[in-house]
Amino acid sequence: MSSMAKAPLLEVKDLAIEVSTRRGPAKVVEHLNFMVKPGEALGVVGESGCGKSITMLGMMGLLPPGARVVDGTATLEGRDLLKLSNRELRKVRGGQVGFVFQDPMTSFNPVMTIGDQLIEPLLYHRAMSKADAWKRAGELMRLVGIPGGEKRLSDYPHQLSGGMRQRVMIAMGLACDPSLLIADEPTTALDVTIQAQILDLVKDLRARLGMAVVWITHDLALVSGLVDRIIVLYAGRIVEEADVDDLYKRPSHPYTIGLLGSLPRLHGPEGRRLASIGGTPPEPGRRPKGCAFAPRCSMKIARCETEEPQLAPLPGSTRHRAACWVAGTVSVEAAA
Amino acid sequence: MLRYIATRILIWIPSVVVLLLAIYALAFYGAGDPIKLIFLRAPGDVAFDPVRIEAIREQAGLNQPFLVQFANYIWKVLHGNFGNSLLSGRPVWKTVAAAAPISFQIGLLAILLTAIVAIPLGVLAALKQNSRLDYLIVSVSLFLWAIPAYVAGPLLMVLLIAILPGADIPYGWGGIFDPRIVLPLLVLSFQPIALITRQTRAAVIEIMSEDFVRTARAKGVPELVVAFKHIMRPVLTPVVTQLGLIMITLVNGAIFVEYVFGLPGLGRLTVQAILHNDYPIILAVTLIGVTVAMATNLIVDLLYPILDPRAGQGGR
Amino acid sequence: MAVETLAAPASAADIEKHASLWSDAWHRLLANRLAMVGLAVIVLLILVAIFGPWMTPYDFLSQDLNARNELPNAAHWLGTDELGRDVLARVIYGARTALIVSLIVTAIAVAIGVTLGAIAGYAGGPLDSAIMWLTDMTMSVPNLLLAVVINASLKPPLTAWMDRMYQATLNPIWRNSLIVDFVLVFGAMALVSWPAYCRLVRAQVLSVRSRNYVTAARALGLPTRVILMRYIVPNAIGPLIVAVSAGLGAAMVLESAFSFLGVGVNPPAPSWGNMISDGLRVWRTYPHLLAAPAAVLGIATIAFSFLGDGLNDALNPKGRK
Repeated sequence: MSSMAKAPLLEVKDLAIEVSTRRGPAKVVEHLNFMVKPGEALGVVGESGCGKSITMLGMMGLLPPGARVVDGTATLEGRDLLKLSNRELRKVRGGQVGFVFQDPMTSFNPVMTIGDQLIEPLLYHRAMSKADAWKRAGELMRLVGIPGGEKRLSDYPHQLSGGMRQRVMIAMGLACDPSLLIADEPTTALDVTIQAQILDLVKDLRARLGMAVVWITHDLALVSGLVDRIIVLYAGRIVEEADVDDLYKRPSHPYTIGLLGSLPRLHGPEGRRLASIGGTPPEPGRRPKGCAFAPRCSMKIARCETEEPQLAPLPGSTRHRAACWVAGTVSVEAAA
Repeated sequence: MLRYIATRILIWIPSVVVLLLAIYALAFYGAGDPIKLIFLRAPGDVAFDPVRIEAIREQAGLNQPFLVQFANYIWKVLHGNFGNSLLSGRPVWKTVAAAAPISFQIGLLAILLTAIVAIPLGVLAALKQNSRLDYLIVSVSLFLWAIPAYVAGPLLMVLLIAILPGADIPYGWGGIFDPRIVLPLLVLSFQPIALITRQTRAAVIEIMSEDFVRTARAKGVPELVVAFKHIMRPVLTPVVTQLGLIMITLVNGAIFVEYVFGLPGLGRLTVQAILHNDYPIILAVTLIGVTVAMATNLIVDLLYPILDPRAGQGGR
Repeated sequence: MAVETLAAPASAADIEKHASLWSDAWHRLLANRLAMVGLAVIVLLILVAIFGPWMTPYDFLSQDLNARNELPNAAHWLGTDELGRDVLARVIYGARTALIVSLIVTAIAVAIGVTLGAIAGYAGGPLDSAIMWLTDMTMSVPNLLLAVVINASLKPPLTAWMDRMYQATLNPIWRNSLIVDFVLVFGAMALVSWPAYCRLVRAQVLSVRSRNYVTAARALGLPTRVILMRYIVPNAIGPLIVAVSAGLGAAMVLESAFSFLGVGVNPPAPSWGNMISDGLRVWRTYPHLLAAPAAVLGIATIAFSFLGDGLNDALNPKGRK
């Protein structure tokens, strides 16, 4: 437990978020616990709609209308973000915490030059003059590897390619040297070759600047080279949590196994192959009684449909945890 | 950019010419022989003296082919010569020149009033979406949009007299600082206000859910700056594109408002001309109306790339 | 707005989905109070237009010179005009005029607009550009002025033509000047009303055309006519209903505007527009002569506007949050 010596940068406890649906309020995120240490990179993995983006938005007071945080704490450097006033929270956003969003096309204001958008964090957090901010923006452009640097600042977003825009977005997130960068599926909208470039850029920047990174994605394989730890979300709850190498070596929750698209190395009770995951996740507010994944699970046992499994350490490890009745028994059998 | 402007103007000119041609053709083949129209009103039996009519026709160039006459008419119009009124015999341009400033002053005031009232109301409704205030603003603007000027005007006059029995009837023109302007100005602005309020509301609601607004918030930009810099500018684009429609409602509205409230502008002139079948005047005011509406469209087209840098990039 | 019904499950069969789309829209409409008020007023208006004339004790023409310019009273609920005619009876007959004109005009305008829009959207190319150019141009002209010019220009030649026909055939139908009025009023109004429908149908055709099932139907070699009828029309019908509801109200306003300007349906057939215009001359002494038709016209147009807005919300749920 030596790595626990450092105090966590961000610690989320028991977070619950609710959205209004046609059938009334429904919890989309519940009992969420995780932490990010200074300089650490955390991968948050899950299908769309599993609550990964809304968790990050919820902590930062950026929820869309109709959604609200109903429970929990999110402590960033000793302060609970959920208790901050709008004004204080505004200082955190773009200051201590930088954001990179998914779609570089729609995430830029089409009627403002990218320079005007890039200098905003500097103007409102560092109180820089416009001229200084513009100069710093040019440096940031070079930092994220945009050829031409400050010359592109007076371009409009539509004049840049998707990969370029995403680089600018990263520059925007890093403008005020944040201690945490939250990247919400930043490569999903990009071509495969560009994805790799962006990934390498963030990896490189993290090595140089030392900020912590939370990388949200639905693609487990993509983040393997970037993050230290991974949490896997399903229907608003964590189903598995592990150090990245451990997770790839020993994925334990059937959902994680499905995400990796691999075969279970040990035969489950019914010994079926798990090449893909059929079906769709439950709609918010329509969670089944037992394990939320049970209807899609090929390894389920009777207990899965009646009792919900809690996140528990797997035998032989304190840092690898899963919420699955079967995962535990499979591992026990393997150990036996 | 220059190429964009040039293209817009090149598309615009034939549209205007074709419209003018169509209207002139209607007059030429429809309204009947202009000479007869003139002399039918003249005393005596001139209309039935074919020799004299032929002579005058020859002199006025009215025996020339249609297109030549059209070209002549346009040429004269460009020089401000619209012919003479059948009713008063005075040159049309003098009558129009006396009436036009009144209509333009009221029209400009109405646009100003619309901008001042409608944009804040639309923003307010959008911010309080689905609240009672929102429903109120939306229903009132539906109401104002639906009610024609010749219904709203008279009803408001009846109401005014009912509430203030001693009040002067707001009838006639005394300049834009005369209190009599208030009621007609309101009635004229009802429809544009309704239109822009709903347009602004829809645009604000749409823009507020855009990703880039979330990006701005995520950067820690203060809410007021988000509202003005990030939301209002994109909102203005769809609102400004409605200017053409506003101009049409203003031209339509002016016809009734000026008639009901006795304002001696182009609108009342139109009604009088229609009532007396004074064709040269009908033609002149229609030309003015069409030109103003088309010019507004051109201005909107030309403004567009300034409002939205994505437009007109082809000619960069 | 307040109450929303459940959407059908995504797995439902296509036919069920179609049916539930409409019942869904209907439920949303039922929940919209303003729209329901509008619908009730319109239904009442239609009933009055059909049956009203038989229920009033007075004819719209019968004059009672002993009871001229009476204020509303027990015998004449809305008073009488300067010829002693019952205002209520005239307003009721006016409803008939208004509805007939707006129905016919909208029908003509929809026919023109749908045809041109479908052709433009389906044919594409220069034909599309030409039709859209015409549409844009018509839309950018102040429609009232255009209608007035059409009306004023075509009336003399049409009347002259009717005269010639009468002299040639001696058939009294050619002497009926009401025909000229109706043809001109309908024609002029339809000519300024079709562009909205044309645009709408074209946009629908374009969006539906590119969908896979239409491409599949084309690949199967189905004739264009069949594709239009079976795939494109059903998809365009929702937005078209919204546009027609708004169009009916607009046509009613346009009719009264024409009558107000004296270029509409001529007296004695009462029209709200010319009642308002008559009332305007005497409103200081007899305000009811102005207020009655103005209020009725106002209520009718607002009813159409509320219904149209409600239909829009009900049929395009995507447009709302």
